[in-house]
Amino acid sequence: MIAGLPASLDEAYRSAAAILAASRRPLVGGLACDVTGHRAALALAEKTGGVVDHMNGIVQFRNWLAFQDGGWMNTTLSEVRNRADLIVLAGTVASRFPRFFERCLAPESQFGELSRRVIVLGGDISSIPSIRGQSVVAIPVQENHLGELFAVLRARMDGHPQDAATVSGMSIEQVDALLADLLTARYGVLVWNAAELDFPNADLTIQAMVNLIKGLNRTTRWSGLPLGGNDGDTSAAQVCTWQTGYPLRTAFEASGPRYEPQLFGAERLLGKREVDALVWISAFDPERTPPKANCPTVVLGRADMTFTQAPDVFIPVAVPGVQHTGFLHRMDAVVALPLQAPAPSGMPSVAQAIAAIQEVMNHAAA
Amino acid sequence: MLRLKNGRVYDPAHGLDGQIRDLYVEDGRIVAAPGPDARVDDEIDFAGRVVMAGAIDLHTHIGGGKMNIARALLPEDHRADPVPAMGGMHAGCGHAAPSTWTTGYRYAEMGYTACFEPAMLPSNARHAHLEMGDIPMVDKGAYAMLGSDDFFLRLLSSGADQRLINDYVGWTMDASQAMAIKVVNPGGISAFKFNARNLDLDEAHPYYRVTPRQVIRALACAVHDLGVAHPLHVHASNLGIPGNADTTLATMAAAEGLPIHLTHIQFHSYGTEGERKFSSEAERIADAINRMTNVSADVGQILFGQTVTASGDNMAQHRNHRLASPDKWVVMDIECDAGCGVVPFKYRDKNFVNALQWAIGLELFLRVTDPWRIFLTTDHPNGAPFTSYPHLIRLLMDRSFRNSKLDEINPEAAAHSQLRGMEREYSLYDIAIMTRAGPARSLGLADRGHLGEGAAADIVVYRDDPDREAMFAKPEYVFKDGELIVRDGRVVKVVNGALHAVKPEYDKGIEKPLKDYFDRYMTVKMEHIRVSDEEVCTCGASKLIPHKCKGRSS
Repeated sequence: MIAGLPASLDEAYRSAAAILAASRRPLVGGLACDVTGHRAALALAEKTGGVVDHMNGIVQFRNWLAFQDGGWMNTTLSEVRNRADLIVLAGTVASRFPRFFERCLAPESQFGELSRRVIVLGGDISSIPSIRGQSVVAIPVQENHLGELFAVLRARMDGHPQDAATVSGMSIEQVDALLADLLTARYGVLVWNAAELDFPNADLTIQAMVNLIKGLNRTTRWSGLPLGGNDGDTSAAQVCTWQTGYPLRTAFEASGPRYEPQLFGAERLLGKREVDALVWISAFDPERTPPKANCPTVVLGRADMTFTQAPDVFIPVAVPGVQHTGFLHRMDAVVALPLQAPAPSGMPSVAQAIAAIQEVMNHAAA
Repeated sequence: MLRLKNGRVYDPAHGLDGQIRDLYVEDGRIVAAPGPDARVDDEIDFAGRVVMAGAIDLHTHIGGGKMNIARALLPEDHRADPVPAMGGMHAGCGHAAPSTWTTGYRYAEMGYTACFEPAMLPSNARHAHLEMGDIPMVDKGAYAMLGSDDFFLRLLSSGADQRLINDYVGWTMDASQAMAIKVVNPGGISAFKFNARNLDLDEAHPYYRVTPRQVIRALACAVHDLGVAHPLHVHASNLGIPGNADTTLATMAAAEGLPIHLTHIQFHSYGTEGERKFSSEAERIADAINRMTNVSADVGQILFGQTVTASGDNMAQHRNHRLASPDKWVVMDIECDAGCGVVPFKYRDKNFVNALQWAIGLELFLRVTDPWRIFLTTDHPNGAPFTSYPHLIRLLMDRSFRNSKLDEINPEAAAHSQLRGMEREYSLYDIAIMTRAGPARSLGLADRGHLGEGAAADIVVYRDDPDREAMFAKPEYVFKDGELIVRDGRVVKVVNGALHAVKPEYDKGIEKPLKDYFDRYMTVKMEHIRVSDEEVCTCGASKLIPHKCKGRSS
């Protein structure tokens, strides 16, 4: 569709190409697609001097900022499944990951049946399924006070005195008891979900978790497990990292890729009008429509996507893993899964649509 | 047909040591000299030039999860070396943890035409192939990591028949599209998950009770029985620990005469002499290599400056995290399969330990007498980025240059090293062996690493510059499969590379217990671990080059 009116695919490609040809810095955003789509999206951004960010960029960068400042000690799902005897859920009960408990915390492990202890810091634990051998305790902590709790836990572990009588709503005795618990784990896992740490400077809370985990590893084994991995965000960051060195929020400039994690968020770029066109890629979830933008907008979206305001160009694309094959990373970025196409369609994939747009641009330039 | 005439050809596989020869290229291959009536379409005169086969790096961390962790961790390092898109080449970044695109371009610009990623986790294989698929110019291959994966350790500790282990090793190489098998800190990555901080060669694993020696023996045997060309590729126990030379020597013996390749041996050649309890054991290690013809090694030379260490050895990397510079580091436990650790590192020439590490690597190069069994590596990026190879070659070929650099390092370290008295200078022939013919033979690449009839036309032409660093940094011509891809050290044509993988024969019955194991304990299906032949190209390789293996009965 062009401006809300029906159009042929070729016409849509030409319109999209014209918008991009006139743009000095387009935002290639959304990026909800598979690896093949991400490769094409990055090639398009490189060709057009664009900047890339994922629709979950705000969430992703809570993790990336902490990671780039201090690194981390993390684990993956099968390790949790087989080794974790103490799981701390910080600011999440993994309710957005309904299979987390059955897949990762089932009692049977290859090292025998595990009696797991689960400590929930904050959150309503009623949604946690009852699992054999698993005990669940909840400690009420507000998400935005998790950071100070983890910082104090680390400080207590390092033997620093603590003047405050309470920390994050807990008495210092409770904090010390919690620390003692953490130290008894054989293989502890601290789980967080950056999407649920929705407050300013949440990266510092994640960093406090990382620092605690690193400290606990002086005497026993602990790892972090950041939940996430929605809308192709893990793959988008992985592909961009291997192709440019940076995990998105990167602009293709004359001197090479430029990475500005604080400046190149989609919301800011659109709000400050630092981009003059938007390509919005959203092939998984029809609800993820483009953000408000005061610039020409091209949407590569699911066919059943509806708009309150029609974009300049809408190209319906096939759904990865349903209508076309491909590759997608699991949340831990270790396992890249092959996607099947149980219901192939005649619609182009994101990669095919981008290739067609680029071909028009190349012809026009020649 | 293309005639490349009058070049001084260094082709150790055929004993050519600078003799003047004409080479003929047709359809991407080197062909026999045609008769006088043959049509020669094009001709280049290489009079006075040095001609070698394309170089092969058999141990370089170019792609896979831990490299992407290293890349993401170091934006500040990339910023100093941005690479814009130009001439059909993609944008990216260079230096310590270069982008995939830049990795391919820069390898080709140094005359390399094949690179082997030595640490691919089977659980991460598809990701590794996707990354390597975006490394252009060079052919690629990867070694699958085994030895700390729980399935293998269960087999070994239950006293499973060696044939069953062979089937599992064969399945792993097939399923992950691997070229060889690597073991990293045998059993140690797993032991770290059980909170062990060290695991000596003859120390029982805290849970499985098997020793690293048993792990090495079983895997070396499997690789041998399956008929895989490249020996078991071993990152030995106790990496970086003063006094580890004893472990290294015992590791060589653990192969019990079977072929074994010890990687980045510089990091495993340390003694405990002297005031600082850190000394060179290069002489003892080199003597052992010289004596034991079943042993080969690559050096893992360190060179001074900023880099990043990325290793499957999470145990050693956790131990080393205090040395991180800048002060940030990553350690991961991965999928009951292995682990990894990424620690940025800055080697300083005025630092006693770093300076001695530098000298130890060079001593090893100079003391190992057979260049067919020692390979030129920096364990990129662990000892230094691969772009420092030309500098390393000059250190080996030019004694006065070497000694001038020795004058610059920590004087105490210089005094401790026997380097100054070592007169050996590598010849061009030696370099051609250790960077071409040797790795090709070790990997079983019959049509690479040499310039004989039938070889792939991967050909590199250098000006004979007495400054060997300048010479090897900028070849005048590089041909890949007969196409000119680099001229005067710059890419002139972007090509894609193929993927080398071995295809050993094994009993597919192993999939029954393996599938059961995945279904019961893993969070991914066994079927999803397997990377199909077709996927290799979807991941980005130009084609799959399968290498048949002829099994040997055990």
